Amino acid sequence: MRRWCVLLALFVAWNLLGYALFRPQRIDADVRAPNASHPMRIVSMAPNLTEILYALGLDERVAAVTGDSDYPPEAATKPRVGSFWLPNLEGIIAKRPDLVLSLDIPQQRSLAARLRRMGYDCLVLSIWTVDDLFGAIETIGRATGQHIKANALASGIREDLVRLGRTRAGRDRPRVLWVVQREPLRVAGRNTFINELIELAGGENAIGPTLHKYPPVGAEQIIGANVQVIIEPAMMGGDPAEQRRRALAHWGRLASVPAVADGRIHVVEADAVSRLSPRLAEGIQLIAGCLWPAEGGE
Amino acid sequence: MHPFLSPKTLLTRVAAAILLLVLVMVACSFVGTEPISLKAALAGPALSSASPNPDYEILLRVRVPRILLAAIVGAALAGAGVVFQAILRNPLADPYILGVSSGAGLGAMLAVICSVNWTLWGRSPVAVFAFFGALGTVWLVWTIGRITGKFHVTGLLLAGVVVNACFSAVIMFLTSITRSQDVYATVFWLMGNLAEEEAFVLWASGGCVVAGIVALLFLGAQLNVISFGPTDARSMGIHVERVQFVALAISAFITAVAVSLSGLIGFVGLIVPHAVRLVLGPDHRQLLPLSCVAGAIFLIVADTVARWIVAPAQLPVGVITAMAGGPFFLILLIRYNRKVYWLS
Repeated sequence: MRRWCVLLALFVAWNLLGYALFRPQRIDADVRAPNASHPMRIVSMAPNLTEILYALGLDERVAAVTGDSDYPPEAATKPRVGSFWLPNLEGIIAKRPDLVLSLDIPQQRSLAARLRRMGYDCLVLSIWTVDDLFGAIETIGRATGQHIKANALASGIREDLVRLGRTRAGRDRPRVLWVVQREPLRVAGRNTFINELIELAGGENAIGPTLHKYPPVGAEQIIGANVQVIIEPAMMGGDPAEQRRRALAHWGRLASVPAVADGRIHVVEADAVSRLSPRLAEGIQLIAGCLWPAEGGE
Repeated sequence: MHPFLSPKTLLTRVAAAILLLVLVMVACSFVGTEPISLKAALAGPALSSASPNPDYEILLRVRVPRILLAAIVGAALAGAGVVFQAILRNPLADPYILGVSSGAGLGAMLAVICSVNWTLWGRSPVAVFAFFGALGTVWLVWTIGRITGKFHVTGLLLAGVVVNACFSAVIMFLTSITRSQDVYATVFWLMGNLAEEEAFVLWASGGCVVAGIVALLFLGAQLNVISFGPTDARSMGIHVERVQFVALAISAFITAVAVSLSGLIGFVGLIVPHAVRLVLGPDHRQLLPLSCVAGAIFLIVADTVARWIVAPAQLPVGVITAMAGGPFFLILLIRYNRKVYWLS
């Protein structure tokens, strides 16, 4: 019994000593303005953040990007510091950044907290909706001393969206099924930014409100939903023509669905429609092109 | 009990293993995606007031904390694995078998879904929820196991399997209704991942794990007897239930500490104890300390490979432990086939 008491006493003493020596710091996860007003070595931790930096003309000041930052093509030539999901802290530090941009997801929040503890400036951006994107562009603009360009970029995108909306005002909205995954079938629900893109392109999500963000659905619901257009984002590295051929074969079973009967099944480039980036209008054009093929999206 | 294990042999083996651990730690400090120089690193934290020293930061604030963390987690998982295998008298037992994995996973998922923002002693909410989720689940399984009565070990195992299955289903349900980004974040967490931690976290969790292992060492001789069967143990005057409860509680505690630090790193708690047992025999006085050191070495090496093999990106360490650990264990199993006491 005595040795158990000694062990317990040592354990308590050890922790008290540790507390006295290294008082724990609070993990600071909130968005905070960086110290440097004109950062010259920026590290971007997400492909859409990289796109924003390039759109603001900051390409010279980007020190490193994540491995998945492939747009614009020049971005792919920048040094890589891990991926969106598994950032390489060692690589980031070696680039001596004066600003690290990251997204508001758990991995990146903890990365930002660790970098801040070491004294690096981090900006954590929450981009979940189209409105968030405008906010993020303006925040990045302020943090990098490019607020005029940022305002111009944001209002340019806003104008594009208004123009696209005006062309289709008052017209019938095609009912769109956005297929995230074919087997088992999962589609984009109402509470997603994809839903926003479909609506901005002039369509309507064929799937009504659901508990899930990306609900799994059955053939019965598809038949009942009167789907007029089916859209699938292209798989990374896959051949879109081949994917469309497979999609046609897959949906052929449900010949009573209007989209299938009319052959309105489309495969679109994934990057433009799966990232909330300055290419937003381009993505919406792509979707509009599927909804009104005769007008080429206009 | 192993007839040939003298205190001198035991001490020599443990000392040799610890020496090897230190050598591995030093060697792995110099492996990484960025080349660093020891001389530059030793120059101190700042080259000048405005420019910090990257070599120092990479070595002492990124690599060394991560290596220490790998050692703590590896030792905890391997030590807990030894105890779970002894008490449950089942070669397939690992530290997660009584619901720790699903309990921790559910806790982590809830923390992500509820967007909890507070921290406890510098730990993120995911870690805190995972810790209490793991401990709570083991307590639940233990209680159900006791209710099932006489065949306590079978009851425990079945309760563990069923609770794991139920909680996994809840995790799957939550996964399907959550924001996709958060789901991926949790999936990566479930795969097991090591990151640099603050000094206090390393200090406190290291203290918990070492104290837990020392406490388990106190029970080593009794565990030897219990692994022959509860009836034999009772006839030798051992309070089987009490030893089982204390050993399981301590093992669950150090597993929960490990899981809250690193997510669910698989395989370490299963194969390291088996590998050490295959090579050196089943005496728990030796098996426990050597498995802990071997677990630490194994996880440090696996994490170094994970940091470096797909540079500049990194892999979750759980991928490496399963991919490299599995074949390595099979080789040992074939090589030392005749020494397998439990599997024969």
